[in-house]
Amino acid sequence: MLVGTTLYALINTAILALMAIGFNLTFGISGVANFAYGAFYVFAAYGIWGMLNLLHIPYLLAVLIAVLANVLMGALIYRFVLLRVRGQALSEVIATFGIGLAILELFSYFGWVGFEYTLPVFMDRSFIIAGTYVDFQRLAILVFSTVLISGLWWFTHHTSIGLAFRGIAQDERTALTFGIDSDWIATLSVSFGAGVAALAALFIIPLGSIAPGEGYDVLIKALAVCIIGGLGSTGGVIAASFIVGFAERFTDTYIGSHWTMIVSLAAILLVLTIKPSGLFGKQKELEERI
Amino acid sequence: MIRKICVFLAMAAMVSVGMFFAQGALAADSIVIGVPTSTGFLEGKEALKAVNLAVEEINAKGGVNVGGTKRKFTVESIDIRDAAPGVPVPEALLGLEKIILEEKPAALVVGPFRSEALLAGMDIIAKYKVPLLGTLAMSPASEAKVKKDPEKYKYIFRTCLNAKYLVKYLAGTMSFINKQYGFNKVYIMNQDVAWARKTAEIITKVYFDKAGWEVVGHEAFPTGTSDFSSALMKVRAKKGQVILPIFDMPQSGTLVKQWNAMKVPALMAGFISPLAGPGAWKTFDHKIAGAINCNFEMGSAISSDKMPKSKVFIEAYEKRWGVPIEAGHAISPSYESVYLLAEAIERAGSVDADAIVAELKKTDRVGVMGRIKFDEGHQVIYDMDPAEAAVAAVIQWNDDGSRTIVFPPAIAEGKIKLPAGLKAAK
Amino acid sequence: MKKRKERIDRGIKVRSSDIFALLSWREMLYLATPRILPVIVCLSLPLLLDPYWQKVLLSVAVVALLAISWDILAQTGMVSLGQALFFGVGAYCSGVMNHYWGLSPVLTIPIASLLGGLICTLMLLPVLRLRGIYFSMVTLIIPLILVRIVEATKIFGGTEGLSGMTPLPSKWFELYLIMAVLLVVLFGFRRMLDSDYGLVLKGINDNDRSVINAGINIYWFKAQSLFFAGAIGAFCGAFMTHVYMFVGMPVFALDYSILPIAAAVVGGPGTLAGATFGAFILVPMSEALRGFGGLRIVLYGVFLVVFIVALPEGIFHYIQRKYHQFERWVEVDK
Repeated sequence: MLVGTTLYALINTAILALMAIGFNLTFGISGVANFAYGAFYVFAAYGIWGMLNLLHIPYLLAVLIAVLANVLMGALIYRFVLLRVRGQALSEVIATFGIGLAILELFSYFGWVGFEYTLPVFMDRSFIIAGTYVDFQRLAILVFSTVLISGLWWFTHHTSIGLAFRGIAQDERTALTFGIDSDWIATLSVSFGAGVAALAALFIIPLGSIAPGEGYDVLIKALAVCIIGGLGSTGGVIAASFIVGFAERFTDTYIGSHWTMIVSLAAILLVLTIKPSGLFGKQKELEERI
Repeated sequence: MIRKICVFLAMAAMVSVGMFFAQGALAADSIVIGVPTSTGFLEGKEALKAVNLAVEEINAKGGVNVGGTKRKFTVESIDIRDAAPGVPVPEALLGLEKIILEEKPAALVVGPFRSEALLAGMDIIAKYKVPLLGTLAMSPASEAKVKKDPEKYKYIFRTCLNAKYLVKYLAGTMSFINKQYGFNKVYIMNQDVAWARKTAEIITKVYFDKAGWEVVGHEAFPTGTSDFSSALMKVRAKKGQVILPIFDMPQSGTLVKQWNAMKVPALMAGFISPLAGPGAWKTFDHKIAGAINCNFEMGSAISSDKMPKSKVFIEAYEKRWGVPIEAGHAISPSYESVYLLAEAIERAGSVDADAIVAELKKTDRVGVMGRIKFDEGHQVIYDMDPAEAAVAAVIQWNDDGSRTIVFPPAIAEGKIKLPAGLKAAK
Repeated sequence: MKKRKERIDRGIKVRSSDIFALLSWREMLYLATPRILPVIVCLSLPLLLDPYWQKVLLSVAVVALLAISWDILAQTGMVSLGQALFFGVGAYCSGVMNHYWGLSPVLTIPIASLLGGLICTLMLLPVLRLRGIYFSMVTLIIPLILVRIVEATKIFGGTEGLSGMTPLPSKWFELYLIMAVLLVVLFGFRRMLDSDYGLVLKGINDNDRSVINAGINIYWFKAQSLFFAGAIGAFCGAFMTHVYMFVGMPVFALDYSILPIAAAVVGGPGTLAGATFGAFILVPMSEALRGFGGLRIVLYGVFLVVFIVALPEGIFHYIQRKYHQFERWVEVDK
C-alpha cells in the first residue's frame, strides 16, 4: 500500500510538473500569466482527436500539426492581443482569461463532451512494479517529464535563444542593449508555452478523456504548482510538483479524496502568506508585502 | 476613432441580434413544451433529441386534441448549464425562469440535471405553476418535498428512475452475484452529489448490512476527480470482490480505464455513465467485457425483445438522428413524458396547469419503459415486471462487444458471467 | 504636416465649476444631469420592464454592487480576484440564520451584511501586508478552499445546500430594496472617496510607503476598506439567498468573481460609477445572448478581449471625457 501510493505519487508529480512547466516557462520569461493555458491544452487535445477520428490523418503527423498549430496560435495571441496590454498584469490576465473562456466554451457549445473523446495510449500494457500494476502510459509520462524538464534546462543554458530567454527574464532593459528583441522573445515564450501544453495533452489525455472543464482544471493545477514553487522558477516547479503530488496521493489514500484539493489549496495559501514569491522564487520583499 | 466606432457598432449589432433571437416569434396556436436542461451534456442533449422525436411524431398525426381543436406542439429549449461544475444555481434558476416567463410553456420536460438545482428550482416552478416532468435529477428528496406540501409542489413529476428504485435494481443484481458466485465483499465508490450519495447510503442500509455483505470500503469522490489509483489499490489490499461505482460524470470513465490498467481482481457492477451506450465498446478499446451497468430506464440506450415498444423507440431514434443513443439515463422517460403530457392534455381538454396536473396524476400508460403510473410523490413507479410497472435494465458487457440484459429476471436474456481471470468464491 | 489631438474643457464645464452655476438653469442642468439621471433610471426601470427582465435587473444590480465593492478595494491598492468570497460568506450567513434559527429576512439581511463583512475582514487580515498580484491570488484561492471545505465536512447542507428560505415579501420590495441600496452605496461611497478619508485610501493605492511616512497606519485603513467592500458583497449574497430561497456551494462560484471585474473593466475602474455602468451593459447583454445557447459565453469572452485591447480606459471614462471636453486637431508646433 505504502509502496504503491509512493509510486503513484511519483507519477502524479510527473503529471503536475508536465502540466505546469509550459505555464511556468511563459511566465518566467515574459512575465505573462497566460490564463488561456488550459484552453491551449484542450485545444491541442481536440485538435489531435479531430485529425485522428474525423480526418484520419496518421498519428505522428496529427501530433506535429497540433503542436505547430498551438505554437502559431500562441504567437498570434501575443502579437494581436497581449502586445497591446503588455505590462498591465490585470489586463493581461483578463485578456488571456477571455480568450481561454471563448475557446473552452466553444468546444462545449459543439457538445464535444463524453468519454469517446480521448486520445490513444502509446502502448496498451501494464507492468508490475514493486507489487503494483502500472500502465505503460504513466511510465511514459514519468520519463517524458524528466526528459522535457532537463531538455528545457539545457535549452535555456546552452542555446542562444535560450540564453536570450533568460536575459529578458533577468533584466529586460539590459537585454535590450545587447540587441535582444524583447517582443520577439516574449512572442516565442508564449508560443513555447502553448507548444508544451500540446505535448502535455498528448501524454496526459490518454489517461482520461477530453472535456472543456479539463482546461480550467489544468490551469488551476498549473497555477498551484507555480505559486508554491515560485513563479518562473524551474527548480520551484519540480519541488512544488513533488510536494503537491505526494500530498495529494497520500491524503487521498490515508485521509479521503475530499481533502486532496483542500491540502493543495491550503499549501498555496500558506506559501503565499509566509513567502509570497514561493519556495524557490527570488524574494523581492518590498514588492510583495509592506 | 474609427476603430472605436466599429467596436460600438459591433456591440450594438450583437445586442440587437441577441434580442431578436431571444424574442423568437411563435405560432399563436401551438402548445409550447419547454426543455430547460444542460444541453451541453450528453444526457441533456439526447433527452432533447428524444423530446423532439416525440413531438414530431405527435405533430405528424395532426397534433393534440384540446377540447375539439387539434393543436401542435413546439419545443423551446434553453441551456441552464447546471451540470457543469462551478455554475451557480441562481444562474440555472434564471434560465428556468426565463423560459417560463418568455416562452409561456404549457409544461416543462426534462428539467434540471443536478438534484441540487431541481430542489432549488421547485419553489420557482411552484410559484409560476407550470407542470414539470423531470427526467434527469434523481434525488428522492424532491418527492419528500412533494409529499410534505402536495398543494404547493403538485406541479412536479418525475418519470425517470430515482435513487430509491435504483437501489432496488442494484441490490437485486448484488444478490444475484452473491447467490451465483458467493461474493460478499463490496467496495462502494460514489460521486459526491446528492443522488449518488443517497443511493450509496440507502443500498448500504437496506441491502448490504442486512444480507450479510461486508462493505470493505466506501469512498465519495468530488465531481471532477480523475485519479482513482488510491481507491483501486485499497480494493486490492482489502480483497474486495465487487466494486459498486455510482457516477454520472464523464471523468468516471477513467475509473474503468484504471481498473483495467491496474488489473484489479474485482467485478465492476453499478452505474458509470460512459459504460451505458453501445459506443462504450469502442471508447474503451474492447476492454470492458464483464462490466455490469445499470441502464436507468428501459429504452435509454438499451432495448429488449420482450418489450416491443422499446425496440421501436430505439430504432425510431436512430433513424431520425442517425446515431444511436449513448446515455443510459433520461432518454426514454423524456420521450414518454411528451406522450404523457399529450394524453393528459387530451383528457383534460385544456392546457390549464391545474387541469393537466390532475390528469397527469391519473396516468396509466404502457410505454417504452413498461407500464407508467405515478405514486403519491409524483414519481413513476419502477419495479421488476414491465407489465406492472416501469423497469430499468441491468446489462453486462460480453466478450464480443454485445450487451446482455441480466436483471430484472422478467426481461433477462442471460445470466451474469464472470470475466476472465476472476474466480468464484464458492 | 503633423497634427495632434487637443482636448479642451467645454465652456459650460468651466463656468459651472464655481458659484455662477447657481445663476443659470443650463449650468445647473449640466451639473445635475449626471447625478439625477442614474437615480431616475434606477427607480423607473423596475416599472418599465417585463417580469423576466425585472429578474435580470436584480442580477444587474447585484453585479453592479459587487463591482463597486471590487472598485473600492482596487482603489485602496488591493486587487481582488475573489468577490465570490464576500458574496458567499454573506449568503451563508443569512442562509444559516434563516434556516436554523428562523430569523426573518428583515433581520438576516442587515446582520449578514455586517457579519459577513466582519468575517471576510478577519479572514483576510493575515494577508493584509501582501501587495499586488500576491494579494489577488490569495483572494482567488480562498473561495475555492471554502467550497471544498463545505463539500468535505458536509456542514450547512453540504453539496445540496439549504433550500426553502423565507422569500422577500414581494417582487417590488426586492426590486426597490436592491435599487435603493445600489444608489446609496454608489453615491455614498463616491462621496467618501472624495473626502479626506478617501484621499488616504487612494493614497495607499498610489504610494503606500509615503502614506506610512505621513504617520498613518495603513493597515487600519486597509482593514476598514476591506470591511466596506466585504459588507457590500455580503449584502448581495444575503439578498440573493432570499430571492432564490437557496444557498449552497455554488455561491462561491467563479462567476461572481469574474463578472464584477469584467463590469469594472468595461465600465472603467476608479470611479465606482464606471463599475455600475459596466454592470448595466454586460449583464443584460449576456442575457440577450442567451438565445445563442452556449455560444453566448464564447461571445462574452471575445467581447472581453476586444474591450481590453480596443478601449482599455472603459466606457465611463470615455463618456465622461466627451461630456466635459471637446477635441480638435491642431498642428504640431515645431
